[in-house]
Formats: sequence, structure tokens, C-alpha cells
Amino acid sequence: MVPVPWPGLLLGCLGLLLSPRAAAEFTPSLDSDFTFTLPAGRRECFYQPMRKEASLELEYQVLDGAGLDVDFHLLSPKGETLVFDERKSDGVHTVETEDGDYMFCFDNTFSTISEKVIFFELILDNMGEDGQDQEDWKKYVTGTDLLDMKLEDILESINSVKARLSKSVQIQTLLRAFEARDRNIQESNFDRVNFWSMVNLGVMVVVSAVQVYMLKSLFEDKRKSRT
Amino acid sequence: MKSQLIGFLMNFWISFSLALYFHSGEREEKCIIEDIPTDTLVIGNYKVQRWDIHKQEFLESAPGLGMFVTVTTPSAEVLLSKLYGPQGTFSFTSHLSGEHIICLESNSTRFVSFGGSKLRIHLDIRVGEHFLDESVVQAKDKVNEVNIRLEHLIEQVHHISKEQDYEREREEKFRKTSEETNSNILWWAIVQTLILISIGIWQIKSLRDFFISKKLV
Repeated sequence: MVPVPWPGLLLGCLGLLLSPRAAAEFTPSLDSDFTFTLPAGRRECFYQPMRKEASLELEYQVLDGAGLDVDFHLLSPKGETLVFDERKSDGVHTVETEDGDYMFCFDNTFSTISEKVIFFELILDNMGEDGQDQEDWKKYVTGTDLLDMKLEDILESINSVKARLSKSVQIQTLLRAFEARDRNIQESNFDRVNFWSMVNLGVMVVVSAVQVYMLKSLFEDKRKSRT
Repeated sequence: MKSQLIGFLMNFWISFSLALYFHSGEREEKCIIEDIPTDTLVIGNYKVQRWDIHKQEFLESAPGLGMFVTVTTPSAEVLLSKLYGPQGTFSFTSHLSGEHIICLESNSTRFVSFGGSKLRIHLDIRVGEHFLDESVVQAKDKVNEVNIRLEHLIEQVHHISKEQDYEREREEKFRKTSEETNSNILWWAIVQTLILISIGIWQIKSLRDFFISKKLV
């Protein structure tokens, strides 16, 4: 049983009171990614609440669907259009944010028959509101417990490893999206080659047979030869 | 103990204020595709609010409102199909690797959606790692905190490694398809040329025999 380090615990509670949310240095940058099917002629919008002086990075790709393109809008909380991409197949946008809900939309209304599979990734940075306060407060912590100080160092390195691992996961997700798109293109190539070659063959055979029989039929009707 | 529980719930509620949300019709089904390796844990958190026409805003809690969560595996079998309340957490572990489809549909019994009636769905999906509850982790003493964070880190590393293996599998499938397409193109071209030549020979022969029999040549 580890004896409870009361001074450290009290300081910890003080820290918890100062910031209702977790201490900024332990809040990793939040990110999420989604893959969904956008039916033909539809428009899907998503909303992301943001704080001010944070940054929002949005990356999207069209993975499947004829033409591999989609319209993209990004609107600020006030309703003004920050970004408008027309019929692009992928895009990256970073905005410095203010307080409010940012809306972004994927528009497939220009296509009447093909549905698109769209992948997008949101990377949020600087969402910890009390970042500055925490740093200052840390300066005044005189950890009388040596164990506490060592553990603090360990926690810091764990935090930096976690941030790097999150970045790795993000990059991995991105590469996965690229690979998925290329694989879809290639599978469609395969199907196209097989189908159209067979059609080509069939048409060739039919046309040549028809040619021969039509010629023969011309000669069946008339007894004389054509000059 | 009770204050801890309330603190935990408050954090849950607060944490949703920064999650991605989208709007959906009353009986509309919204689906998300997750391409994941085998034996992967996926945890989803959602909160759903209903638009109140009279107050012209989204209600904080809508009693009786629930969501059907359906998870379909790549082989089209249903892995999870349950009704949850207006706010809930669902999780599943994949047996196959591939595209799993997570669908959310409300259990609203309104057949006619009134003008402007819609639902706001907050959604957060974590693949391969558990949600780390910051307030609970911070409240424990330092040694336990280090312990918990290290375990979370190990989970993350395992997930990255699994994703890497899955990526290798898919790249192999991709390469096979490419090579097959390449050889198919050559094979079809050869077959077409041979058939073209043989049809040409057949045509000429058949016509010549025909003309000879008709005493035109």
C-alpha cells in the first residue's frame, strides 16, 4: 500500500478546482474521422462546436463513386462561407476558429445516379481553454515529495508519447483512405476490362455472322448475279 | 461516492458539447462505415436531442426517445442490434476484418414528420482504445494515474500495430487485383485477335463456297 502523499493530493485537488476540465497538458488534441455513403442527389452537413483561438483542420477524400468528386462547403458560426470546393476529389483546410459551431457540408446533388463514399478527418488543436493558467500554476508547485516530481516527469513523457501516437494514428488513417480509394479504382478497372472485352468479343462474332448471312440472303432473293 | 458519480456524469455531458453532431430526420437511418481489422474493439458514444417546435430549440432531454443501433459485419451478418436511450454507449468487437457498418435510427413513432421536426445526434466513435475519462484519472493518486495512462498507451500501440497488419493484407489484395487486371488485358487482346482471324477465315471460306455453289465464280 502506497502511503497517500497528502501535500501532493491537496495540490492536485487545487488544480482540479482551477480547471473544471482536465489539465490542458493532459488533454490531447481531439480528432475524429468518419466514412459514410452519400446517396446521389443528397447533401449531408456536419457541425463541430469550437472554442476561440483553437484551430480546426479538415481533410476529406472521395473513396468510391463514379467521377470521385464532391462539392464541399465550410461555414463559420456566423454563416459566412469560409471554403467552397467545387467537384474536388480530396482537400485539406485549416481554419483559426472562434467560438461557435462550424458547419461543413458534402454535396452530391450534381450527380443523379452515383452515390459517393466520403471519408473525412477532423483535427482539433488548442482546445484546452486554461492552457496558460495551468503552465503558470505549475511554476508554483514545489513538490516536496521526490516521488511526486519523478512521477510528474514520467507523466510528461507519457503525454508526449501519446501525442505522437495520436499523430501516427492520424497519418495511418489518411494512408488507409488513400489506399482504399486506389483499390476501389483498381477493382473498377478490373470489372470494366472484363465486361467490355466480353461485350467486344460478342459484338464482333455477332456482326460477322450477320454480315455473312445478309450477303447470302441478298443472293437468295435474286437468281441473277449482281453486276 | 455520489459526488464522484455526478462529477463523472457532468464530465460526460460536458464532453459532448465539443463532439461532432449532425441532423437527421425523425425516422431516417444514418450509417457510418468503419473499416477495421479483426479482433478490434470499437466504442461509440452518442447523444440525441429532439427539436421542439414551440420553444424553437433543441430539448436537453427527450424522454421516450431512443436510438436503434445496428452493426453489420462485412459478411452482411448483424453483430449488434439494440435499442438504447437518448444517450448511450455501445461497443462491439469485430470477428472479421473489413467494412463494418454502424447505423443509427430513432425509435420515434411519428409517421408524419412535422415541418422542421428533426433530431440532433452527437457522435463520437473510438476504434481500438477505451475512452480515457480525464477527471477520474486525475482524481486518483499519481502512481495509479501513471498506471492507467501507460495501459492506455499500450492499447494505442497495439491498435496501431494491428492496423498496420491489416493494411498489409489490403495492399496485397490490391496488388493481386492490379496484376490480374494487367494479365487479363493481355489475355483478352490475344483471344480477340485469334477470334478475329478465325472469323475472317470462316467468312471468306463460307462466302467462297456459297458463290461456288451458286455458280457465280
